[in-house]
Amino acid sequence: MSIVNKNSKGEKIFESINLILMIILCAAFLYPVLNVLAISLSDSAPILRGEVTFFPKQLNFSGYRDIFANQHLWIAYGNTIFVATVGCLLGLGMTCLAAYPMAFGNFYGKKLYTFLILFTMWFSGGLIPTFLMMNRLNLVNSHWALIFNFMCSPFHVIILKSFFQSIPYALIESAKLDGANDFVCMWKIVLPLSKPALATIALWIVVAHWNDFLGPLMYLTERDKFTLQVVLNDIVLQASGAMYGMADAVQAGDGSLIIPQQVQNAVIFVSMLPMLAIYPFVQKYFVKGVMIGSVKG
Amino acid sequence: MLVKSKKTTEQPIDWKKIRAKIWQDRFMYLMILPVVIYFIIFRYIPMGWLRVAFYDFKILRGFEGSEFVGLDNFRLFLSNPAFMQILWNTVWLNILNLAFVFTAPIIFAILLNELSRHRFKRVVQTISYLPHFLSTVVVVSMISTFLSPSVGFLNRIISTLGGNSIHFLGEPQYFRTIMVVSSIWQGIGWGSIVYLSALTSIDQEQYEAAVVDGANRFQQILHVTIPGIRNTIIVLLILQIGSLLSVGFERVWLLQNAQNLRVSEVLSTYTFRIGMQNFNYSLGSAVGLFNGIIGFGLVLFSNHMSKRYSETSLM
Repeated sequence: MSIVNKNSKGEKIFESINLILMIILCAAFLYPVLNVLAISLSDSAPILRGEVTFFPKQLNFSGYRDIFANQHLWIAYGNTIFVATVGCLLGLGMTCLAAYPMAFGNFYGKKLYTFLILFTMWFSGGLIPTFLMMNRLNLVNSHWALIFNFMCSPFHVIILKSFFQSIPYALIESAKLDGANDFVCMWKIVLPLSKPALATIALWIVVAHWNDFLGPLMYLTERDKFTLQVVLNDIVLQASGAMYGMADAVQAGDGSLIIPQQVQNAVIFVSMLPMLAIYPFVQKYFVKGVMIGSVKG
Repeated sequence: MLVKSKKTTEQPIDWKKIRAKIWQDRFMYLMILPVVIYFIIFRYIPMGWLRVAFYDFKILRGFEGSEFVGLDNFRLFLSNPAFMQILWNTVWLNILNLAFVFTAPIIFAILLNELSRHRFKRVVQTISYLPHFLSTVVVVSMISTFLSPSVGFLNRIISTLGGNSIHFLGEPQYFRTIMVVSSIWQGIGWGSIVYLSALTSIDQEQYEAAVVDGANRFQQILHVTIPGIRNTIIVLLILQIGSLLSVGFERVWLLQNAQNLRVSEVLSTYTFRIGMQNFNYSLGSAVGLFNGIIGFGLVLFSNHMSKRYSETSLM
């Protein structure tokens, strides 16, 4: 940080302008989220007049009452939790298995193995060949397509590998002298020391699954399989709420259904709440993870 | 521990030693086995499926029942004047990203670094990460609320100032601005993490020396702070060039509509439209392969450049 000369008038002005700018930016970051919450809790009349901004007007819980009664939304919620949890656990396991030999191994074929993984960062089959492959494996319209789709990202492998390498090799060597194999070394020594990196990667995988829209758009065809983002897109952006039996949906002049704004925004808020609730607590871990990834990746 | 023997004479390959080494590393091989299987099935076999680009592929008949057409699919889209527009849209969006979305986190990090109140700084940081954790669907729905001609915040300001409300999402000329501004909003905090960490490594003595020389705050930023993170900026900039042909699918797809399609269609959405919506797997794969090969070239180029830079200066 620059050194401040407290007496200079110019620097005082800079200081206050910077402070004000930061406050405005914070308001800009928060406004859309608070606006969603405010609309979800307001009455229709002020919403339609465009009066709801930071705070709700004429408090009204009908939006939440509607969505709590709607089973489709909760099925989608359950599907998303399933994909995110299973995807995170399997992905984390796979990433550890991939990173440990890269960090500590000295085996024949290590170079080829590393290349095999890194190459996929630069070139991939792309959208349609991957779809054809999933189709061949009968994974279309299955949550497993989403889980397999990003189970092991090369970026995560590299980040975890760099983190593993900061662990003194002597620890592993001495354990090996005591007869521990590599699996035991990883489980008993390396993983307990890598909690920050593991937490970061776990968060990234969960967020990626939770917010994924392209995957479900491609692979899921049945309503009961849909994840949150697909339902959200249908309800909020396509306004096709009839599919989900949205109570209170109003017939518009052209025959389409209009879902009340507060219901739409209640759905949005409920869908983003878990991620917003988690991230401040794991923040110190992911900042570390991003740094390792950017410097050594 | 094995001691690597230096090559002295032409020794015959010692199979026994090699076998012993492989046996010694058996747990390593066991560990990479599921990883290799995963990568082959879900990453490499799909690359093999790219050959549908050279067929007139019918999914029910497989390769045996489909006609091999060589480069016809490539000719088809490369000769289409609409494709040039799509290519241009993709590149132009990326250039705008480089100019604005890439630079915004740098400025944000520098300004954040100048805050003297540490508690406040931490709060601002935490809040700035928030948009990164929202899904694209949520962000786009926020955009459409914010820009709505009837109830949107922006149009209310315009009408209070006496203007007519504008249907921003329906007018093609606003599409790129919306993309850029929303990308900045979502990425500025997250993107600043790297620079903030680079800023902490600047030696405080440099600032002291600058003050002795009579530098004011602005001059300190210009002559100490920015040179201090210059290498990080250069490396990230070069890496950015590697993704010049890829625009995130989701945001563009969700912001697209019949009115703005002319400027909003990019390679990834075009691939999806042809392949997944019109079921022309061959043409879609051909566009994807074209995209992939050029992207690969750009990545190789940028990796090469960034290595040169990181060897000489970053590490």
